[in-house]
Amino acid sequence: MTAAAFMTLLQGAGVTLAVSFAGILLGVPIGLGIALVRWGEVPVLRRVAAVYVSLIRSTPLVTLCLLIFFASPSIGIDIGPVSAAVLAMTLNTSAFNSEVWRGGLVSFPKDQLEAARSFGMRPSGAFRRIVFPQLWRSALPGLVNEMTLLIKGSPAIAVVGIVEVTRAAVRIGATTYEPLPPFLVATVLYIALVFGFVCLQRVSERTYGRAGASA
Amino acid sequence: MPDTSMPPAVAPPVLEIRGLTKSFGTNIVLDGVSMQVGKGQTVCLLGPSGSGKSTLLRCVNWLEPPDQGRILLSGKLMGFRDGGVVPMNGMELARARSRIGMVFQHFNLWPHLTVLQNLIEAPIHVQGRQRDEVIGEAEVLLDRVGLADKKNAFPAHLSGGQKQRVGIARALAMRPELLLFDEPTSALDPELVGEVVAVMKILAEEGSTMLVVTHEMGFAREAADEVVLLDLGRVVEIARPTEFFTKPKTERARQFLQRYVHA
Repeated sequence: MTAAAFMTLLQGAGVTLAVSFAGILLGVPIGLGIALVRWGEVPVLRRVAAVYVSLIRSTPLVTLCLLIFFASPSIGIDIGPVSAAVLAMTLNTSAFNSEVWRGGLVSFPKDQLEAARSFGMRPSGAFRRIVFPQLWRSALPGLVNEMTLLIKGSPAIAVVGIVEVTRAAVRIGATTYEPLPPFLVATVLYIALVFGFVCLQRVSERTYGRAGASA
Repeated sequence: MPDTSMPPAVAPPVLEIRGLTKSFGTNIVLDGVSMQVGKGQTVCLLGPSGSGKSTLLRCVNWLEPPDQGRILLSGKLMGFRDGGVVPMNGMELARARSRIGMVFQHFNLWPHLTVLQNLIEAPIHVQGRQRDEVIGEAEVLLDRVGLADKKNAFPAHLSGGQKQRVGIARALAMRPELLLFDEPTSALDPELVGEVVAVMKILAEEGSTMLVVTHEMGFAREAADEVVLLDLGRVVEIARPTEFFTKPKTERARQFLQRYVHA
């Protein structure tokens, strides 16, 4: 494998990381919002959220990506492949991670909220000061798990013409007739990316401690 | 110029409950309860399980909005504004609640905050008071409940009795007009009840205004100014503890005392 081929793979890894990261950055807060709407039993919106989650969860990322890419011009917005890819990743991960957030919210001790209410905290204040600092700690393992799934599902975005790691490896293999080396490198790059996320999780768990422990 | 230092002819009680009714579905939990707690008084709310004691307490700070009846805090209507027709909005309710301190059966401390942080959380973020001043006051309170050395500990590292003393200090940190205690010793191991009761007795003697739901007859007998016996959502008897425990007026009170005190 040539140095140029290796650079192409690294660039592909950059694209994988960038698109995944954008999806996570947008999708995680959206997922939290969805979970809050359902947990707070906001009328009407909670039903919309529930339908959204089941629809998105049952649509493969590839299909969703194609759907957004080809459907957008017909409603007058011609978004490029990158935007389509980021949007598909965001929608996909928001539906999955909203369930992680919701799991944490559902199991949150009611008596702590009752104390917050009786001490005059508003729902927003109670969420910010009491719920969230504990929630994110308990949701983190599930969220990171979902992030790693997203990264590994990201080859799907190649269908709209984005050259991420796997597509780069396919191309190199097709020109050199030696597919094994580029796929080995691609595999190592995925492992490195996922490992990076897991390391971030470990560091933050160690820094902030578990909820209720002697942080 | 009018003399504003003159107290009004009759100061309203800190808490006045009039004709309170509350049902859950078809189950009538409170059925026209009326009672009051005067300034500096300690009133113990007694009664068998399911008599509506805890619900009454939770109606006072609107954790459970009552169906009917009125609750007046120092003469001001709770839960409603503009003469009692329009329900309070979230912000008004929160402000009204912050005048009442509540101590819970299961402590309900916030586990991600240290003892000191539990005390200063609401005074700073709800009442908007000065951080330094609140911390100073909280340290004095922790000293009073005998936990000055635990201020940087997390709740998970405290015993039940220590947690409840933090719970009491946390309620006091709000400088409440009224303290509500919801079975504060019921979740404690028997040998830890004493330390919590001791703190409550000191508060009662120092003139805190307290409404206490309890099964600790010793506390009611020694520290209460008045005892209210509740049964099936109704007030059965209101009496001074000396009279209540020695010569109750009603048959129901005699039965209750036989089961809970002489058992």
